[in-house]
Amino acid sequence: MASIQRLALSLMLILAATTAVAQYYSGEHTFDGEHRNEASLSVTTGKNILIGASIGNTMHYKHYFNNHWSVDGGMNMQYSKQLYGVKAKGEYQFKVRSFHMFASAEFLYNRYVKYKTNEIDGNISIRFERGYWDITLGETLINYTIGESCYTELPTLTFGAHATLRPRTNNWNVGLLFRNYDDFYYENWNINWGLDFYYKINPTWKLFGEFNIRPAGSMSQLASKYETTGKVGLIYRWK
Amino acid sequence: MEITMKKSILYSLMAAALLAGCGLFSSCEKVSPTGVLIGNTSVDDRVKQSMIYYAYHGEDLDWFLVDSIEEYSFLVGSDSHITFDPGRLAEMAEIGLENGDLFYCHLGDLADTKPEYYYNTKAALYNATRLWRNKYLEPLIDEYHKAEDAMFYDKRIKRDTRNFARAWYDWELPFYPVVGNHDITHNGWSLFCDQFKTSFYEFTVQVGDSYDRFIFLDSANGTLGDFQTDEIDKNALQNDDKPIRNTFTFTHTNIFRPSMNEFASTYCREELYYLLNKLKEWNTTIAFWGHVHAWDDRMFNDVRHITMPSMNFKDHPNGGDDLLVRVTVKKDGSCEMERVGLHCKEMSKKELEELGYYVTTK
Repeated sequence: MASIQRLALSLMLILAATTAVAQYYSGEHTFDGEHRNEASLSVTTGKNILIGASIGNTMHYKHYFNNHWSVDGGMNMQYSKQLYGVKAKGEYQFKVRSFHMFASAEFLYNRYVKYKTNEIDGNISIRFERGYWDITLGETLINYTIGESCYTELPTLTFGAHATLRPRTNNWNVGLLFRNYDDFYYENWNINWGLDFYYKINPTWKLFGEFNIRPAGSMSQLASKYETTGKVGLIYRWK
Repeated sequence: MEITMKKSILYSLMAAALLAGCGLFSSCEKVSPTGVLIGNTSVDDRVKQSMIYYAYHGEDLDWFLVDSIEEYSFLVGSDSHITFDPGRLAEMAEIGLENGDLFYCHLGDLADTKPEYYYNTKAALYNATRLWRNKYLEPLIDEYHKAEDAMFYDKRIKRDTRNFARAWYDWELPFYPVVGNHDITHNGWSLFCDQFKTSFYEFTVQVGDSYDRFIFLDSANGTLGDFQTDEIDKNALQNDDKPIRNTFTFTHTNIFRPSMNEFASTYCREELYYLLNKLKEWNTTIAFWGHVHAWDDRMFNDVRHITMPSMNFKDHPNGGDDLLVRVTVKKDGSCEMERVGLHCKEMSKKELEELGYYVTTK
């Protein structure tokens, strides 16, 4: 059974790698039955219309204070894009009937060196999670500064949907997602489509990845892409 | 296992329904969900086609003004979404003629994409062209005829006059549109380019020794695309070497959201910042944006950004005093902007039919 799972996972990885290039997404850390601190490192590659091929990596750390409260820190370094970002996130988990709920607040800073732009995003979200799917709803404030000009966009609805093939407690999974944000950016109405996966190698190590397409706006969707990206990384988990 | 599969199918269907809902609730209406999701052409293909046309005809677009002209003006409209009645477009042309505006710019979504709507649009522009020729060309041709009489029917002069008249009658109304997302769905690009040829181009207006530069960008897909951004970065448009006084840019997809409930498709983050930097690099005086059907006026990074309201009957059945913008460029290069009204009411199908427009569709 395990060999079949590994074979299926390998095939999916090969298929995804040939059709899309990577994204700097460090993976939503869903509740899979127990809370463990996590640290992750991933390699990211991608291609978009402005830069062409790009490579970078992300680092991520999540610490649980108890069964409800946790904090996240992340760093994104996209060398070809000359895009560097850091973020911090606080999250509170609680249960309403059979839903696992995650209320979170996030602060994200991005420096687009090539375009001389500083971007600061603030987000509050709530995520509803069941065994096979989760939905995220929230609001984001996006502020950017170029030269001496600064602009704060009106609050943007943040939304995301994610469905998985297997329950979250399974030791492997594959999911489909669409949303207008990712680990290191928030968009207005540009929906990000993706396939993600994980495989628990053992209780402490987990392989994860995501491959997605970022279309150029709601008028394009999959017909006119802006960026194809993906990422593969390892998560180390401990009590 | 069966239950799991059923759940997966159910969630996929839910996701598909949500996706369809997203399409339906995008800012531009009157279009099917599939039309929102898939444009028939890519921006790269349109820009490649435009560059070929531009290579042969780019210089024909330029306006050369004599020194005696102290100032000129141009009119800008957006999102006319013409269906059966092209009245608002005709009114815009009339206003421009009345005021003596040098040319017209349109920010896309000219007509909703059905052949009959484009027939009506084309007919309205043809009528406007006739009026424009009557106003500006007929007097010049009369002058030539007088010169011809004075020369006692000199055969050479007479031939020149005929050629002159023929050449001038090839001139169309100086109407410069960009392509919008509605212009590319339902095979719309073929209808659009049959009339306007190009979606990515520029021209200059010469005043004395200086030039004002007008750049038209294709953002109908919500992106400039890699081919267009490459061409921009390579300075493929020809006027970079001229002494530019003012630069005006025109494109459909907006950057700034005038209100929270405008779910307009803005550019992806990096492309947005690329574009804002490029406008600054061009030393842009005013950047015009359409698409959201709402007014916004702001300065950002030393560029004035004007997001235009729509001029169509659906949004403004009774018209309005501020649906167009007129920019007057003074002799010293300074610019004045005023908002101009459109007030004509939508005609009945019977009235339109009497005027020779298509009023039925299958």
